[in-house]
Amino acid sequence: MVGPTASLSILSRADGSASLKCPTTGYNVLGSVNAPIELPARRDALKPEEATVEVFVKPGNTTAGVGERYVEGILRSVLQKVILGRERGFPRRGVVITLAIIGGDAVERGDSYLNILPTLLQVSLLALLSAAVPMSMTFSTALLGVTKSGDIICNPSAAEAKAASSLHVLAFSSKGHLLLDESQGRFEFEQWESVRERAFSICRGMATPGADGDVTMGDGGDEARINGFICETVEDHLHRDYSWKIDSA
Amino acid sequence: MRPATAKWPKMVQKKTFDRPRRDSSPRCAIRKMSKEAPLSVAEREFILEALRENVRLDGRGADQFRSLNLSFGDEYGHVKLQLGKTSIVVRISSEVTKPRDDRPFDGLFNINLELSAMGSPAWENGRSNELEAYVTHVLDSVIRRSNALDTESLCILKGVSCWSIRADVHILDYDGNLTDAACIAIMTGLQHFRRPDAVVRDGQVIVYGVEERVPVALNITHKPLSITFNAFNEGHNIIVDATRKEEQSSEGELVIGINNGGDVCFLSKFSGAPVDAMEVVTRSNVALEKVKEINAQVERVMQADLAKRAKKGMAEESRAENDR
Repeated sequence: MVGPTASLSILSRADGSASLKCPTTGYNVLGSVNAPIELPARRDALKPEEATVEVFVKPGNTTAGVGERYVEGILRSVLQKVILGRERGFPRRGVVITLAIIGGDAVERGDSYLNILPTLLQVSLLALLSAAVPMSMTFSTALLGVTKSGDIICNPSAAEAKAASSLHVLAFSSKGHLLLDESQGRFEFEQWESVRERAFSICRGMATPGADGDVTMGDGGDEARINGFICETVEDHLHRDYSWKIDSA
Repeated sequence: MRPATAKWPKMVQKKTFDRPRRDSSPRCAIRKMSKEAPLSVAEREFILEALRENVRLDGRGADQFRSLNLSFGDEYGHVKLQLGKTSIVVRISSEVTKPRDDRPFDGLFNINLELSAMGSPAWENGRSNELEAYVTHVLDSVIRRSNALDTESLCILKGVSCWSIRADVHILDYDGNLTDAACIAIMTGLQHFRRPDAVVRDGQVIVYGVEERVPVALNITHKPLSITFNAFNEGHNIIVDATRKEEQSSEGELVIGINNGGDVCFLSKFSGAPVDAMEVVTRSNVALEKVKEINAQVERVMQADLAKRAKKGMAEESRAENDR
């Protein structure tokens, strides 16, 4: 399986930026972060002791609508928890995250936004890392679909997602806690439990013991471990940034 | 107390009226409103003094564009343009809609440009500023109202259905000359885009998928581009393709929209210091030369890309495991 491709700090004007291309869904998302920045319109913020997190999703070839507002809400609630908004220089300022969908099909009005949600979350995390915004933890996300026959497919394509009976987006923190759970469709609780296990192994690259205590081996092997992928991307970038220092040592 | 403060700006205005200053141009006011970091006095003087000696910050000639880099995405009409540090992505899309009641023979064509915080930290998300309105106006005039895309060819069935073509402009990085860059990107996108084939059979509109029939190119009548000139030092120095810093220290600008045949389809001198009438004539010659140069480059890059696509498409179709 071909894993996603990412690059960091590609824009010159924004404080931090990242782009991520997901091969299965075909989405290419570019994210930029400006932080900390003055928000003249939000002087009287609700929480003056914290930074205001603003997320803006810009669809590729339609005008932003209800779907974008909805997904912005999810992203904001997750990122607000992760960003340390009380650090020096952040209170009363803003963290502005702009995500532009520059590749892949448009999300039709009324269609599910869960397909693109993991990519959006991943890009905003990478862009925040690129902008060196203080965060309490990183996270990794997975998109899973359950087919009508009850099989779990990871990273379903657009057609597979449409045919699936339920779709799940899960995010795990770098400490292994479940951060986000967005599901849609009909599913049983046992199904969700196995979806969670599968998602955990994809994100964290660790096999979890099954109900009978057996550890399934080689399950996460061919699937790109998302957590490792993020680490690698950032490590590669740091290596390039500090090559002058490494070379001279 | 109130009347006194109200009078204060008037006095300032009078002062500037007697002795025209560069700061008095309304373009400068736009920059201040969107809170782009202003140039320091020293920096501005440096740029102006260098221009007096015919030197630009990046060593270009007065009539020289920055290096233009065009690339295409996976789908048709997805263009990535890089002009120096200004970076733009344009996506063209099409859908079938109902034509407007007053123009039953015409299809729809819209250019959608929204400045987001990605391009420059000075731009606020979801809030339009004057630069956005200005660029949209120029693009609309140069491309849409000059009928570069023949909207009548977009009609499928009179008064019932037509194609709606939409150009979305995403500004990724802003370093001056947004208008020209966006104009080049949109025109390239329109020439590169292929819409699905549609036919009318017994009063029914049938749209064929991209796999069923070869998609059709849009009908481009001419290829106009806008060329922006910036004036400095009381009109002594006029340059093309100004960077952001040059734009900020400029005293006025002149936009010429012109096509390969030399037809001027848009000319504007919105604001700023006056420019000599003779300058406008000579600059339109420069603009014509630039447009020919850029259009030739666009054509070259696009043909290379389309040839690559055709080759790939054939290889895909002639595979042995395909259905017969």
